[in-house]
Amino acid sequence: MALAREIYRAFESIVGSRNISEDLGIRETYRCIPAQSSAHFGPYDQKTPLPQAVILPGSTEEVQQIVKLCNKYKIEFKASSTFWATMGYIGSDCAIQLDMRRMREIEIDAKNMTAVVEPYAIGATVQAEAMKRGLTLNIPGVGCSSSPLASTAGWAGFGPTSIFMGCATENMLGAEWVLPSGETLRTGSVGAGSGWFCGEGPGPSTRGILRGVVGTTGTMGVCTKVAIRLHPWPGPDHIPSVGDAPAYRAVLPDNFKGYTLCFPDWGAYANAVNLFHENPDILFLGHRQYNKFGRNLKVAMIKILNDKNKQLCDLPALMEDPVTKKQNEDMKIDVQVILAGMSKRDMAFKEKAVDTILEETGGWKSEFMQEPDIAAWNLMYLLRLGHKNLNYTLCGAYEGTFGLTGNVFVSSSLMEEASALKRKWELESDCIAAVGGDSDMGSISVMGGGGATGWEFFTQFDAYDKESIKNTKLFADATQEWMTSKGLGVDFCRWNEDARRPDGYNYTQEQHDEMYINLPQPHVTAYQYKVREAFNPNKLTGSYYRTLTPEKLKEQD
Amino acid sequence: MALEDYRAMMERCSNCSGCKWIPFDKIKSQRFSENCPSISYYNFNTHSARGRFQLAQTLLDGDCEFSPDVVEAIHNCTACGSCDSTCKITRYNLEPLDHNLALKAKAVEEGYALPEQKPIMDSLQQEKTMLPGELRSNRLHWASGIDVKDLMKEKGEVAFYPGCKYSYNEKLKPVAANALKLLINAGADVGIFGSADMCCAGRALQMGFENDYEQQAKANMEVFTKSGVSVIVTPCSDCYHAFKRQYAKLGLDIKVMHLVEYLDELIQDEKLVMKNRVPMTVTYHDPCHLGRLGEAYVPWEGKEKKILNQVHTWEPRRPRYNGADGIYDAPRRILQSIPGVELVEMERIREYTWCCGAGGGCSQTNPEFASWTANERITEANATGAEAMVTACPWCEESFMNAKDEDGNTIQVVHLIDLVLQAI
Repeated sequence: MALAREIYRAFESIVGSRNISEDLGIRETYRCIPAQSSAHFGPYDQKTPLPQAVILPGSTEEVQQIVKLCNKYKIEFKASSTFWATMGYIGSDCAIQLDMRRMREIEIDAKNMTAVVEPYAIGATVQAEAMKRGLTLNIPGVGCSSSPLASTAGWAGFGPTSIFMGCATENMLGAEWVLPSGETLRTGSVGAGSGWFCGEGPGPSTRGILRGVVGTTGTMGVCTKVAIRLHPWPGPDHIPSVGDAPAYRAVLPDNFKGYTLCFPDWGAYANAVNLFHENPDILFLGHRQYNKFGRNLKVAMIKILNDKNKQLCDLPALMEDPVTKKQNEDMKIDVQVILAGMSKRDMAFKEKAVDTILEETGGWKSEFMQEPDIAAWNLMYLLRLGHKNLNYTLCGAYEGTFGLTGNVFVSSSLMEEASALKRKWELESDCIAAVGGDSDMGSISVMGGGGATGWEFFTQFDAYDKESIKNTKLFADATQEWMTSKGLGVDFCRWNEDARRPDGYNYTQEQHDEMYINLPQPHVTAYQYKVREAFNPNKLTGSYYRTLTPEKLKEQD
Repeated sequence: MALEDYRAMMERCSNCSGCKWIPFDKIKSQRFSENCPSISYYNFNTHSARGRFQLAQTLLDGDCEFSPDVVEAIHNCTACGSCDSTCKITRYNLEPLDHNLALKAKAVEEGYALPEQKPIMDSLQQEKTMLPGELRSNRLHWASGIDVKDLMKEKGEVAFYPGCKYSYNEKLKPVAANALKLLINAGADVGIFGSADMCCAGRALQMGFENDYEQQAKANMEVFTKSGVSVIVTPCSDCYHAFKRQYAKLGLDIKVMHLVEYLDELIQDEKLVMKNRVPMTVTYHDPCHLGRLGEAYVPWEGKEKKILNQVHTWEPRRPRYNGADGIYDAPRRILQSIPGVELVEMERIREYTWCCGAGGGCSQTNPEFASWTANERITEANATGAEAMVTACPWCEESFMNAKDEDGNTIQVVHLIDLVLQAI
């Protein structure tokens, strides 16, 4: 469907002819194939709908004018920064796609330890700019190639450094927010003309509406600027990186140490994680990272990634290598941590604290991960967190399954059962990569100071192989069934299943009503319906914002 | 490989955005963090390697056509291979650059070349150069006055192959002449191909004209073989890549060296001694086709094999070109051997260097885009505080000679050979 000439020209007059396209081929490259991205959705092989136009705004004013036009002509819109996840794409045929890549400013306020970022400033660039000022930011699990603004304003936003730096909801300060109606609202202190230092005031505090806990995935208008809290970086003004591609290594001073902590059983693991939660000053970073490659593969994969001459075809031989096998067994139940000393004394305290926790729980440090080159590679990997992309190394596509997010004692006690279920599928069906069952990974804490862990089982499949996609979805059905039987809630790859239909389109209100009336707490979505009515009267931003028609509650009563 | 043969790669691309940035581990600032001139200039996702995978998939499915915008997007790729190197930081089974070239070839095959490409290809056919307006009869003017062997008439060990830019460009001709004289003075048994000297046609391949390229490559290979030389030395990075990587696929079995490699060996063997002080702070620009695309071709024939259910590999092991083994150290060693020269590095170097803008024929077909790309590099060079930018490719050199940084400043552009000449 093409936009009417009058409407197209109106959009064009806002951004200029260079920054808008309705060419079919150009628009086709703005459709998401969920099987190719980790989307907490699917995996599905259908494309998301074709936008009527792709528009690249260059300023808040342009965004505002575009959104006002969308309201005038009742055209849906969705803004995305890096277009990684399905949630950033439109969900109807009557919609335009906003590509925010022209808006990428980063403004660091070192004194107040904040950064004001625009949508296309990615984690790596914000971190690089912050490091020049002795600061850094929490880069969520999605990795440094994604937009901190998107994670902060629109999604959960926890990651490896959350134990030290908190998650998105904790780090979000003021925002410049183009509401779905086209008005621009500045939230928190900036709304009162007092700078960006606070999200709650003076000025309007809208955190609960703009993002809530999990985030509204860009369905409540367009954030054009967000202020985020920065954190101390006791290192050089950039991460010195050496080595041959792809094995880049960080050369950092002695106040940075990365360890892989290993445990004899899950009970010991849980006790150690709990001690870190109770003593949150110890860790700069805590993440179960390399297990994403799978229990049987992780050391072999680390060796491949650290040798420019090795390839994936070397996996079988490496996995059979007795030394690798022993190193792998040593790291069977593991977690990666980084200590960053703010002073020599601080570093000594942290080292001692880690040793004490290991002593108390019967754990040990992996010697393999302490080999100098591997240790330097590990530091590079975890501190910059380009790791989202390594998530794809094995098969090209993956989805998170299970999702054992919560209390570490609950999740760890179920780890072997979950692993056994996955291993059964690996052996009985060839739809997913056979990696040893346990491919659990995730943050030691999803919140600042320690608390619930955020885990998922990476499940790698082949997006080119239709059977692999189809049967991976069946595997997700099985993991959801298991999750439900254990009272663990929604499987990780189903988080957005109620937000977008399998065919890639938005749900209708009627379909959402049928779903949400059966929620344990349907009033929440009925409340959100009213919020949407106030902020988004023309319903222009898709069905990721979960709403239940309030009348349905009355009917139920 | 035909475009259709890249289907699996198109669908296995992870949409991770790696192709739009220098390796994340190497980012030192936002200003110099991007790697792909095409998407950096045009901004639409279509202009990235990811976008091109998706566009090709759509074209093959018949869901879109070769519209003018699509044709522009396909051809406005400098074929610099930056997307390829960064993709391969994490992926072991995608070939974004080869795919981009296959997409260009498909467009050309279907009749969707750019109008600006026609005179270039006509010139290749008629005058054996991809520089329209230049005549074959003038090709050897750069060497006039130099007493050098004609390898088609007498035997020699080393062939000096200047390439079209050094043969015709008035400002660049002295580089070729000086380089040849230097080799002769160093005692090399060197000659030129005389009237048989022709364009390497590497740019034809970069623009998607596969048949023209192959025809010209085979004609050149015949000349090379007939001459009986054992080494070809070229100061042009484009020619170097064409011979070393592309001609090798067609069976060229003669050692190929870039001039910087040859000079580096002469210096290591103490056949060339740097005596004079050249007090200058310089920065070095890695030409794409010498650096990340300068790895030698390794013959391979095999097929895909899945292991561990869904991990796709190749049997036998397939060569992996990720830029790790490009020519980076030789030019730096030469610079470091010159007394007084101080090398200061830009942020984007080696396998993640920023393109000069001339690749893929873009400086000839889309000068505005090429010029913007070169200007970006001059901005980066000037940020180092260097007095001059040194490079080892005539296409880069020409691009930078005409470029200005974001504040309107230029930088002195020097070929490595000129510094060496001052030092010996």
